[in-house]
Parts: sequence; C-alpha cells; structure tokens
Amino acid sequence: MRAEITYRLSDPYVDAAQKNSQRQLALTIAAVSQGNEGRVPLNLCLILDRSGSMGGEPLDNVRQAACRLVDALDCRDRLSVIAFDHRPTVVVPNQTVERPESIKEQIQGLRAAGGTCIDEGLRLGLEEWAKGKHQTIGQVFLLTDGENEHGSNERCLKFAQLAAEYNVTLHTLGFGDAWNQDVLEKIADAGGGTMVHIQYPDQAAEEFQWLLRRVQSVGLTDAHLELQMAPNARLAEFKPIAQVAPDTIELVTQTEGNRVRARLGDLMVGVERAVLVNFYIDATSSRVLPGSTPDRQVVGTVQVTYTDPQRPGATLASEGLAVEIQAIAEHRPQMDEEVQGRVLALAKYRQTQLAEAKLQQGDSAGAATLLQTAAKTALQMGDTNAATVLQSSATRLQTGTVLSDAERKQTRIASKTVLRSE
Amino acid sequence: MIVCPNCAHVNPAGALTCEACFSPLPQILHTNCPSCGAEVQPGARFCGSCGFDLQQESQPVQVSTEAATPEPSEEVPEPVATPLPDDETDLRSRAPARTQLQQISACLIHVQTETRIELPTSVQVIHIGKPNNLIPPDIDVSGFPDSDIVSRVHGDIRYEGDAFYFEDTGSSNGTYINNVPLPPGNRHRLRAGDRIALGKGDKVSFVFKMG
Ligand SMILES: [Zn+2]
Ligand SMILES: [Zn+2]
Repeated sequence: MRAEITYRLSDPYVDAAQKNSQRQLALTIAAVSQGNEGRVPLNLCLILDRSGSMGGEPLDNVRQAACRLVDALDCRDRLSVIAFDHRPTVVVPNQTVERPESIKEQIQGLRAAGGTCIDEGLRLGLEEWAKGKHQTIGQVFLLTDGENEHGSNERCLKFAQLAAEYNVTLHTLGFGDAWNQDVLEKIADAGGGTMVHIQYPDQAAEEFQWLLRRVQSVGLTDAHLELQMAPNARLAEFKPIAQVAPDTIELVTQTEGNRVRARLGDLMVGVERAVLVNFYIDATSSRVLPGSTPDRQVVGTVQVTYTDPQRPGATLASEGLAVEIQAIAEHRPQMDEEVQGRVLALAKYRQTQLAEAKLQQGDSAGAATLLQTAAKTALQMGDTNAATVLQSSATRLQTGTVLSDAERKQTRIASKTVLRSE
Repeated sequence: MIVCPNCAHVNPAGALTCEACFSPLPQILHTNCPSCGAEVQPGARFCGSCGFDLQQESQPVQVSTEAATPEPSEEVPEPVATPLPDDETDLRSRAPARTQLQQISACLIHVQTETRIELPTSVQVIHIGKPNNLIPPDIDVSGFPDSDIVSRVHGDIRYEGDAFYFEDTGSSNGTYINNVPLPPGNRHRLRAGDRIALGKGDKVSFVFKMG
C-alpha cells in the first residue's frame, strides 16, 4: 500500500501582473494497493446505547444489525461490544471472530434500561478496543438515540481526540431523531470518522453494513497532510483548509509560518479524501520556491505521512508534490470544473452552518435565506437530494414554522455529505 | 476589504470568493467622475463631489472577475470636452437631457456647496450614503465636506405615486428633517423646501425642490 496525492487548482493560470490572486487548491488523497496484498484484520468495537428509550423495536433492530455485522466479519477480524445506559458494560470482550454464534448469543442478550452516559460508554469501548490494537485497523462504531443526559459532552470530545491519538477511528450513528447532531458531528470529526443517521429502526442493518464496507476499504492509517506554501503565497485568513470529501470537515490544523499540518486519519482504497485549500498568490513576487520559473511558479509543496498496518512502527511518507501555477499575461479566468465542485461542497456546508447559527440567534428569516442559498449551491453541484432537503427546510422556516428534530438532522447530513440515493 | 453580501463576512482585499461561505464576491472597481475626477462607484447615478449626472455619459461600468487594482491608463473614461463651469450653480445649465418627458421633476440642493442633484423618477428607491459593498449608494455624498458624519448606508428616497419620501435606513448619526430627528424606519413625505440634514449639526444638508 502507498498513499497517492493529486492536485488541481481552481484556475491553473494566474495573471503574471497580479499581486493578489485568490485560488483554491483541491488535493485528493487515497490509498493505492500495490498488487496482491491481503486485507489487514479489523479491530472493531461497537458501543451501543441500550438506555430505556431504545426498548422494543429500536433495540431489536440494533441487535439484528450487530449480528449481521458479525456474519460479515472475517475470522481474523477482532470484535468487542460495549453496551451503555448511564453505566457501561462489556457485552462481548475483545476477541477474534472465530466463534460467531457465541458472539451473537451474547449480543442477543442485550436488554434496554436506564439513562444515557455516552462518555462512559466511550471510555470502556476504547479500553476494550486497546486490548487487540496490534497489527489491526482500529474502528469504533458509537450508536446512540438521545442526549448525553448523564454524561459530559466535553468529556466525549476529549475521548474522541484521544482516539485519534491512539489511531483508532471513531464513527457515530445517530438513531431516531432525538440525538444531538452537534455532539455526534464533533465526535466523528475529531475521531476521523463518519456521522451516520439511522432515522428508522429497520435501516440499522443497512447502515451498519455500509459503514463496515467503508472501514474494510481502509488501507493506510493515521495520515497527516503536510503543506508548505511558497513565500509569495499566503493562506486565507479564515478557515483556509477543509476536507470536502467523502464528508465535509473543518480540519484542525497546526500552523507554523507558511507550514500547515492537518490530520486526515484513515486512507481508503477507492474512496478519495479531498481537501480544499484557500490561498492567495502574488505572481509578481521574486520570492518564490526553488523550481519556479517566471511562467511556472511553485505555489507550495504537499506531502502525506501515514502508517501502514502491515508495517507497524514505521511512519511512512508519500513523495513530495510541487503544486505549480502558470503565470501568463492578460489572464482570462479559466475555472476548473472539478475544483468548482469541491468549492461548492464546502459552500453548501458553510452556508448551512451559517443558517444554523442564525437560527440559534432566533433569526429564522435570515436562516431561511441562507438555507435557500445552500439549496441552490447543492443544485449547482448536482446534489439534488441535498437540494431537496435544504429547500424544504428553507420553505419550512419561511412559512414561520420551526424545523422538526428529524429535519434538523437531515439538514446537517445533507450539508455535510452527498446523500446516498435510496 | 470586501463584505460578503451573503453572510457579511469581512474578506481581505483580493478575495474573489468569500472565505467564510464561498459565495462569489462582487468585484467592484472604482471609476472616476468624468467631470471632476473624483472616485465614484459603478452604478452611481450622480457624482457625490460635483453632482454630475454619470448615467448621461453611459460610461462603462467595470466589473471584473479578477481582483485588480485599477489601471488608469485604460480604465478611465475619456475626459469630457466641456470645461468645468467656474460657478458651480451653473451646473443647472447642464441638467441632463431627458430621454423621456417627465411630469415630475425633483432635486436636492446641497446647502453647503449649492450643488444640485436631480432625483430620477424612473426608479423607486434612491440610496444615499457612501461607497460600500452591501448597498452601493445612488447618491454618493463622500465627496462633500464633513461627509464623515454620514453612514455608508444612510437613507433612501422613495418615489411612490408622484410623491417622494425620505427614510433613514439605520444610520449611525441619524437624519434630521427641518431640524426634527427622523426615527429610523419612519418615512417622511418630502415637501418642497424641506431641509434634510444627514447626521447631527446640520453639516451635510440638502433642500428638497420639486417642479
Ligand atoms: Zn460569505
Ligand atoms: Zn464629479
């Protein structure tokens, strides 16, 4: 396995006489297989909410979904299952899936009762996961249906950050419509994972399988993007770097002068991560990076560092990639359509976030306008499913009604990712 | 500095796309008044400094997709051949030639400089203020003395059913009609001879004239 980076600029040309041209750099990063490499076993931990509200159909479906997950795992894969109400318990201790029937029996014994403390579930889950972390790909699925009434959201976030440090990826699954999308999104973003919405109980198995296929495609882990901008280029002042595919995430960056580092987490085979960098370049400057010529300027260099679970202990690095822009006279804008799509993905997310901020301030007319803008953006990028969701939320606000819990979740998910068609 | 019309984020110079919401930003290059050379916003109907009817010249409005510093060599329109009149009140004689006959004509006279500004009746709203990217003023007063007390988005004159109304659209220093403060959001129906002062102290004042 190796990491591959490619880049495109929003406009590959810049006016040679311009001191201040704004461009977006779209980087795509993926794991590429080098022939017949076997799959590295997963070390999967399910942390399942079994609080009283999960009683009946919800927990029945979650049990079934978890059992189907067991069936889909390989005997070399490791699994642990934690259940939590206001206290956590180990339902299935960390083990290889050699005796799937006995594991499924343990899962079937899950009963609903008690309150909700997500952080305690997370704590015990990470502890159990760590028992089999060597030469495996670490993944946690955290499922909850409600607010963290007996716990601390702050502590959840701490555990999510800890998970990233331990190199285990944390995905969140919101069940029904009463969970907190702000908390689950933050946990998934910090944990390098995906946030999934299981709106109806009978979708649980399907969503579990989808997420399993996603984590089975992980080839490399703990990837970090390292970007060095040229002296004649500067990053945008406001949130200059964001992931825009497969989900939109405001990346946490460490910046040192013109050097930026951001954690990407897992790299998958066949599922690209795309990162958008917003910057300005002075094409007239003589303070350029080595390798630049007057008409081909190096805007910056990019590298990805990562670990290969098959070669434990070593931090590997991709080749350095020089991002070049062509400086020409009398420049006419030439938009790159692919990058335009990436820009629209981030615009859709940011516009929806701004709408939600307005909503929080009680400005529902302002929120409606921004949601409508976001819907137009979604349409422009060809994401008709999101456009429908965002427009219906905008219309709802315009008619003076409030968004239901379900609509708020749908709006968030629609803004963050390209909705899968049914 | 460019304020995003979509989310109000303040973007640095050179931004084409809002750094916060990634909406395209309006790219406005200043043009210069062909009469007095003062900087005016594209789309402004009158020069704030000399009251010159800019639309009469049908000068091209330069909206670029690239952020750029204006290049005076090619961007500035040809100077107008007619020399500037010595006496500013003579501007009256250069009142723009109307393409349509109008039953109503109205103007503002800037008290401090005796500049006359014709009010068009072809549009419903005339924005008064100073250059900004949210609501570019139709009447740009930035060239008048003491214009620092006037807000960028100060007030509107509305033309409805043969009558003109003044409203303050949320200025910082207020508007006084015949020395009485006009509460923001309130409309005042203008009558010939009304004195409109933008900001306190009667420093930037206009007399409304009709007919
Ligand atoms: Zn904006
Ligand atoms: Zn002028």
